[in-house]
Amino acid sequence: MKQNNLILEVKDLRLDFNTYRGAVKALNGVNFKLYKHEVLGLVGESGCGKSVTALTIINLLPENAEVKGGEILFKEEDLLKKSKEQIRTMRAEEFATVFQDPMTFLNPVLNIGTQLEESFMLEKKALKAAVVAQRSQGKANINYSEFLAMKGKEDTILTNETKVSGKEIKKMAQNLCADVLRMVKLPDPERILRQYPFELSGGMRQRCMIAMALARRPSLFIADEITTALDVTIQAQILHLMRELRDTIDASTLMITHDLAVAAEIANRIAVMYAGNVVELTETREIFRRPLHPYTQLLMKAIPNVAKPVEKLESIPGTVPDLINPPTGCRFHPRCPYVMPICPTAFPKTTQPFKEHEVACYLYPQG
Amino acid sequence: MKKMDNTLTVKDLKTWFPIKSGIIQRTIGYVRAVDGVSFNVQKGETFGLVGESGSGKTTAARSILRLIEPTGGDVIFDNVNVTKARKSELLKLRHKMQIIFQDPYASLDPRQTVNSMLTEAMRVHGIVSNKVDAHSRARELMGVVGLSEEHLYRFPHEFSGGQRQRIAIARALAVNPEFIVLDEPTSFLDVSVQAQILNLLKELQTKLSLTYLFITHNLAVVHHMSNRVGVMYLGILVEVADKNEIYNEPLHPYTYHLMAAIPVPDPAVQKKEVLLPGDVPSPINVPSGCRFHTRCPYMTEKCVQEVPPLFERTKGHLTACHYEIDFQKGVRLNEIEYGSSAVKG
Repeated sequence: MKQNNLILEVKDLRLDFNTYRGAVKALNGVNFKLYKHEVLGLVGESGCGKSVTALTIINLLPENAEVKGGEILFKEEDLLKKSKEQIRTMRAEEFATVFQDPMTFLNPVLNIGTQLEESFMLEKKALKAAVVAQRSQGKANINYSEFLAMKGKEDTILTNETKVSGKEIKKMAQNLCADVLRMVKLPDPERILRQYPFELSGGMRQRCMIAMALARRPSLFIADEITTALDVTIQAQILHLMRELRDTIDASTLMITHDLAVAAEIANRIAVMYAGNVVELTETREIFRRPLHPYTQLLMKAIPNVAKPVEKLESIPGTVPDLINPPTGCRFHPRCPYVMPICPTAFPKTTQPFKEHEVACYLYPQG
Repeated sequence: MKKMDNTLTVKDLKTWFPIKSGIIQRTIGYVRAVDGVSFNVQKGETFGLVGESGSGKTTAARSILRLIEPTGGDVIFDNVNVTKARKSELLKLRHKMQIIFQDPYASLDPRQTVNSMLTEAMRVHGIVSNKVDAHSRARELMGVVGLSEEHLYRFPHEFSGGQRQRIAIARALAVNPEFIVLDEPTSFLDVSVQAQILNLLKELQTKLSLTYLFITHNLAVVHHMSNRVGVMYLGILVEVADKNEIYNEPLHPYTYHLMAAIPVPDPAVQKKEVLLPGDVPSPINVPSGCRFHTRCPYMTEKCVQEVPPLFERTKGHLTACHYEIDFQKGVRLNEIEYGSSAVKG
């Protein structure tokens, strides 16, 4: 029933980074599906491959990365088979990414208005359609949600030979800029449009980044550790905003975070990654109620929880493995309390011991 | 609280950083990073200091150890006033008070082996009389922090983040301290490793009867580690209380919002969403009256005019707010009558 709502499917994705010390086997067969309008939380410790997976989807990998196999099906087309030029267009039209540190992604010498306007101006046709629609409706201004609803309908609106001047397009872009800033709950948007990134606080910058992403009307929104650099009260504000946007914008979100608590606040489903594999994937409530993979179980006991204080935290022995010489078979086996002789032989198949609850572990029947 | 039990007493500590400008580098203002902080740490307890970035918690800790020269106030440790101590006295104090820093990639000398790091600390403070003793003690310390003896001859780059933090702990323990400042000791570590380090720190505290000052922005971690917690906002303490009280019955509106903002790793826990508007103001131009009034939903004219003192409302629960507030209903109740016992906040 969900099949027609599938927007992104990552199948057995394998990727190496070639370094002078040898190949770092960063992704070891990553599998997951992302459906329309959902937020999938990709959770794991540093080096587990969560960011690399996202960068592979949007093809922003460094030179030394080498995809060893697998498929990334976006709207039933394999992204790995596309040319650089095609991917570039898709990055502009379909994907939007917001990263951890907004200051590195905002241009320090341009004001917010200029940068945001640029995002809108990339698609002049859409703006043209908006101008035409505004004229025909006789309205004062088209707002962002109406602009969002117009996506894909440009050609029907622009059938007649209406002339639209550059001035009108620019004016449309400017007023959408202010409206999209209102969407991300920035106070006094007209003033912020004239300000430069250094004049804004961390939380405001992150809101601007989100606004820029929204300007592209993406169908896939990648949020890579967007709250990690922020303070806890500001983090709560941004998470609240993301929850609101989840319900209003027409996009699926891939939310990458190392913090299980942040994922719990916002994601519909959670995928837990360990050393280049998705080891468990299910609905958020289910994963907290009934974690199946030993890593997920231990991870949950290792996080201090204010709601359920304990005297001693459960810790996972050892450290994350070196991915140049990763452990054979299941990569978690050297740290696993339930290790069995079969574990080092081959990576376990992903099974569904419960409905919609996927896990890759030999503890569950490999049917 | 009896005064005798206090390992550390901090009185009205101030650390201001001058802002200089122009050709002659005239001081045009101050960043009031720590602006009158008073608290005490009792022997054997863990006192947690929490706050958002820029609240002055790290500056306060470093000023206590005089790694940064404080502008004013007193720090009494072991009946010695640290802020007024001469250099020679300070060296004697330093082996009793140690610090573990946030970033284990920056706090260890990349050109020293673990062995030389540990023995150097012992030699400087005259803990051991000869090389053989120093070496056997270094070996012993490795066992204490959960590393093996063969690790002694390795360099920092050969270790992972968690192992490095263990080395930093061993180095602090090398001089037999009584009091350790833990400045965000786990914020660079992954959660699975964080649990190992937190457990180790707790274990060492009981084994060696250490007193901790635990600084962190992670409210769940501080709740797990501390006995009492102090909440900082813009260079001052707004609330000090027992950890359970501060988490369950906060009195200051900032503390309440801070606690409500903690993401809970359990979707089954129903929580009320309360958001604090705006951002922390600049510590250069601190707001008048109560520093929190610019973001406080319960603000009145009095808050803009008068600075609320850090006042003991119930036993051991101090807060700096003019009002008693019912956070569940979101209403302001009574104005607080300050008696003569009010401490200047």
